Amino acid sequence: MGILKEGVKDVGFVPALMIVIVLAIALQLTGVWVTMLAAGAFGGLFTRRHLRAFLAGFLGVGAAWSIIFLYLIATTPAIAIAGFFIGLLGLGENLGVIVVVIAIIIGALLGGFGGIMGRAVLELVESRGVKEAQAGRTEEARSQSQLKP
Amino acid sequence: MKRRLGKFVLALIGPIAMIVILSMPIGLLYGGLGGVIQPIGGVFDVGRGVSMPYGQSMKIPGLDSDVEVVFDRWGIPHIYAESVHDAFLVLGYLHARERLFQMVLQDYFAAGRLGEVVGREAVSSDKFYRTIGLARAARATYQWYLDNAEHNTDVAYALELVDAEVAGVNAFIDSMTSETTPVEFKLLGFTPEHWTPVDIFLWAKMMSWSLSGSIYDLYRQWVRQTIGNDTMYNELFPDLLPYTVPIIPEQTDLSLEEFPNAPGGFPATSVPPRKTGVVAAQTPTIDLTKLRLSIDVFEREAGAFGYGELLGSNNWVVDGVKSATGHPILANDPHLPLQAPSLWYEAHIVVPGVLDVMGVTFPGLPGVVLGHTAKTAWGFTNVGADVLDIFVEELNPSNPNQYMYNGAYRDFEIVDETIHVKGGGHIPYEVKWSVHGPCIDSVVNTYDLDQDIDPNLAMNWTGLGVTHELMSLAMLNKAGNLQEYFEAVYWWDSPPQNIVFADDAGNIAMTVAGRFPVRTGYTGEYPVTALNDSVGMTSSIPYAFNPRSVNPSQHYLQSANQRPTDPSTYRYDILGPFDDGYRGRRIDYLLSRKPSVTVDDMKSFQADALDVSAQELVPYVISAWNNAGDGNTTVQAAVNWLSGWDYVMETNSPAPTLWRYLLSAMQHETFDELRSISTGLLLSRTPVLEKLIKENVGHYFDDHTTSGTVETRDEILVRALHRALDNMASELGMDSSTWNYGNHHSIYIDHLARLTYIGGGPHRGDQYTLNAAGGWRVTYGPSWRMVADMGNVAQSYGVYPGGQSGNPFSSHWSDLFDLWYAYKKEIGQYGYHTMYFYVSSDRFRDADDARTMIAGSTTFTP
Repeated sequence: MGILKEGVKDVGFVPALMIVIVLAIALQLTGVWVTMLAAGAFGGLFTRRHLRAFLAGFLGVGAAWSIIFLYLIATTPAIAIAGFFIGLLGLGENLGVIVVVIAIIIGALLGGFGGIMGRAVLELVESRGVKEAQAGRTEEARSQSQLKP
Repeated sequence: MKRRLGKFVLALIGPIAMIVILSMPIGLLYGGLGGVIQPIGGVFDVGRGVSMPYGQSMKIPGLDSDVEVVFDRWGIPHIYAESVHDAFLVLGYLHARERLFQMVLQDYFAAGRLGEVVGREAVSSDKFYRTIGLARAARATYQWYLDNAEHNTDVAYALELVDAEVAGVNAFIDSMTSETTPVEFKLLGFTPEHWTPVDIFLWAKMMSWSLSGSIYDLYRQWVRQTIGNDTMYNELFPDLLPYTVPIIPEQTDLSLEEFPNAPGGFPATSVPPRKTGVVAAQTPTIDLTKLRLSIDVFEREAGAFGYGELLGSNNWVVDGVKSATGHPILANDPHLPLQAPSLWYEAHIVVPGVLDVMGVTFPGLPGVVLGHTAKTAWGFTNVGADVLDIFVEELNPSNPNQYMYNGAYRDFEIVDETIHVKGGGHIPYEVKWSVHGPCIDSVVNTYDLDQDIDPNLAMNWTGLGVTHELMSLAMLNKAGNLQEYFEAVYWWDSPPQNIVFADDAGNIAMTVAGRFPVRTGYTGEYPVTALNDSVGMTSSIPYAFNPRSVNPSQHYLQSANQRPTDPSTYRYDILGPFDDGYRGRRIDYLLSRKPSVTVDDMKSFQADALDVSAQELVPYVISAWNNAGDGNTTVQAAVNWLSGWDYVMETNSPAPTLWRYLLSAMQHETFDELRSISTGLLLSRTPVLEKLIKENVGHYFDDHTTSGTVETRDEILVRALHRALDNMASELGMDSSTWNYGNHHSIYIDHLARLTYIGGGPHRGDQYTLNAAGGWRVTYGPSWRMVADMGNVAQSYGVYPGGQSGNPFSSHWSDLFDLWYAYKKEIGQYGYHTMYFYVSSDRFRDADDARTMIAGSTTFTP
């Protein structure tokens, strides 16, 4: 809580985006897609508006997945696999690139929603912090008044 | 604060919705879309694990020493190990690496656990396989190996191979990464369990079931009861089909002193029992509807993995007198279900001083099933004998959980077979077992019937107890001469197989291997009520007297699933039904007329697509048209096709298409006696029709549905021509230019989970040709072709329709199919690869001057 309350600053949109890209690539290497929410959420902590938080997560994870897909396409038959996959859905096997685009959009949405969630968590924590600070100040004032002769 | 809390809750809606949507099963994607569509961990990275890491070392726990594996250009591993344990551990690892999904699916299928992988749609299949009890038999067999390994070195050796294979499979499962996890598991969201020795015995049981599990007893009973005329039944549905050339030309017995028991060590009867006729009192009447329901269940469930008329195989061998090389040449092509990945995985295993064997293995089983060593070669065809009897238990009227046996009611053993389905559901299911076996009608819904609602049809199948086929294979892989072949085949008790053999000493042999029951008190043709132990499979034919031929005077041996023996000369009854015999007649003709057979001849014979049934019957049709034709110009044009036809089922001619329709029409027009009784009856077997036509048996050619006229054979054949052309016009279209055989007869090899397929092109042959290709959409056929020349066994040839890899994105997914399918008309052969056979990796590399044989190598280290 202390870190969230005191250590998270608005670093600007582009740095937040970069943070999400790096984190999303690292987390995606674990092969657990839910962690894209965490990547987006982490990026959302460094912004101060919900829209920016969403965009940082959306574009960050989208970019991260795009980078990984480009690597896979360059080194493996990823497009053929995508074509195989879309073929299972009864669509043309030459439409594999559409599967990749859809995958990237899904990843981006995970990041985007994660960003909003991160921002909302931060705001919640901040509001609790403000409330606690106000409560602290009130208590301090009461103590001081009791000390007066 | 409240506003921010509200915002936080709203912010959770998106992530939660995404998690729910991406986790929910969609169609085949039981694991949900999220796990599949991500770049790493989803389906996309399986392409990275597609190839073995050539030139590297890989650690496998459990190895004692380094094992070098050289992969040839087809991805076939040549395993060079210092011990059989290490060799088979690596084989198990490679089986799993290339075929784990196939192994798991097959294993769960046989165990009746498919619902755990794919969900509720597999429940009926699971009930069936739970009912027949393959898993129970596999456990009993494994226990026998454990109990006997201490006293029998051959058992201990086989068990060592089993344990090594299991360790190898589990080593791969433990090392699986996202890149090496089969794509099918990712789609299904399934994580495989560790492999066990029972899984190995289970798959052996499944193959045995596919090749010898049948309910002909019920089918015969249904046909006989439906027809209600024993004279007609015996004429049209004989067990002994006409014109068959038996497999065994000259019987060779072994010493009864050396082999007093039946195959597998079972008790034997050296004096054949008196032949038993049908004992009417012991042939109970079963409700026709229940019979039909039972047959339907078997056809639906068992047909999915092999049970059916299209199963078959060819093998043959010539000795040095008849071969151009002066040494035996052996050929084998088993006709099994064509599936992707293939049933087979090819391998070469070398353990200096112990083993040097090459051929095809079943993924998950430790051993080369069909192949050759440095000194011997062998191949299998299915016997097709009836080794499964149905016993109708007499239930206690006041307690259906008891049945009468040996003068008293005794309890059925009731086995809890609760079925678990993916997602956590449980379906209660029980199977009753009598002394004869499981009640197979446990799986039949009989709630529509007035009587016999309680299961009482017990199945007694020779494959359901302890069997020894894995031990036999282990010994066969080491066999170096004829005597060791005899000793290995002694342990082959199930399923019955015609095992052809050749060695470098010039011997050739054929053993109709397997345990054949000696039945007492009944024939085995029909279900029987056995109230005591004097009726049943009371003994077996001694191995010494199994049908067998060694170095016959005709200098060749052949088998194509036809009747193995001539009943007039062989002393025991072996019950069919066997194959129609056309392939056997063809290969016997080819081999008997060729004085000097070459390896190329053998390849041409395997590609032969001449249909003997057409060769025998078409001249009668043409003659009938000439004698009794009505001048119809369309029919005349069709007869012209037949007149110029060489009876070869080629793809570029309409005559083969017409022949397929014509044969059906001839049966339809001839057997009005049967179709007027029931449309569900098979209209007799083709050799029976052939006999009726050749001998002009007027009774059956008269159409009994017409009054006042007596139709002749020629009139019926002319009617068949009209019917065939009418059917072709209605099913294939009026434009006869599109009737070429290849437009309608094509090969499709479906992926096991129906994700994709191999093939799709026109295909030569039919059910009766040596290049077997039954049906219009060919799904069975030569699942492996091999020609082994004992004069130079290193120049043997093999191929199977598929590829070594089970990964559809591998270059070895279908490369062997391309070879198998490529027919070169000018030489009349399909493609083969040379079965590289080098005793060490160094010699292999030395031989690969042109760098075209070896793709790479990997060293497995402890």
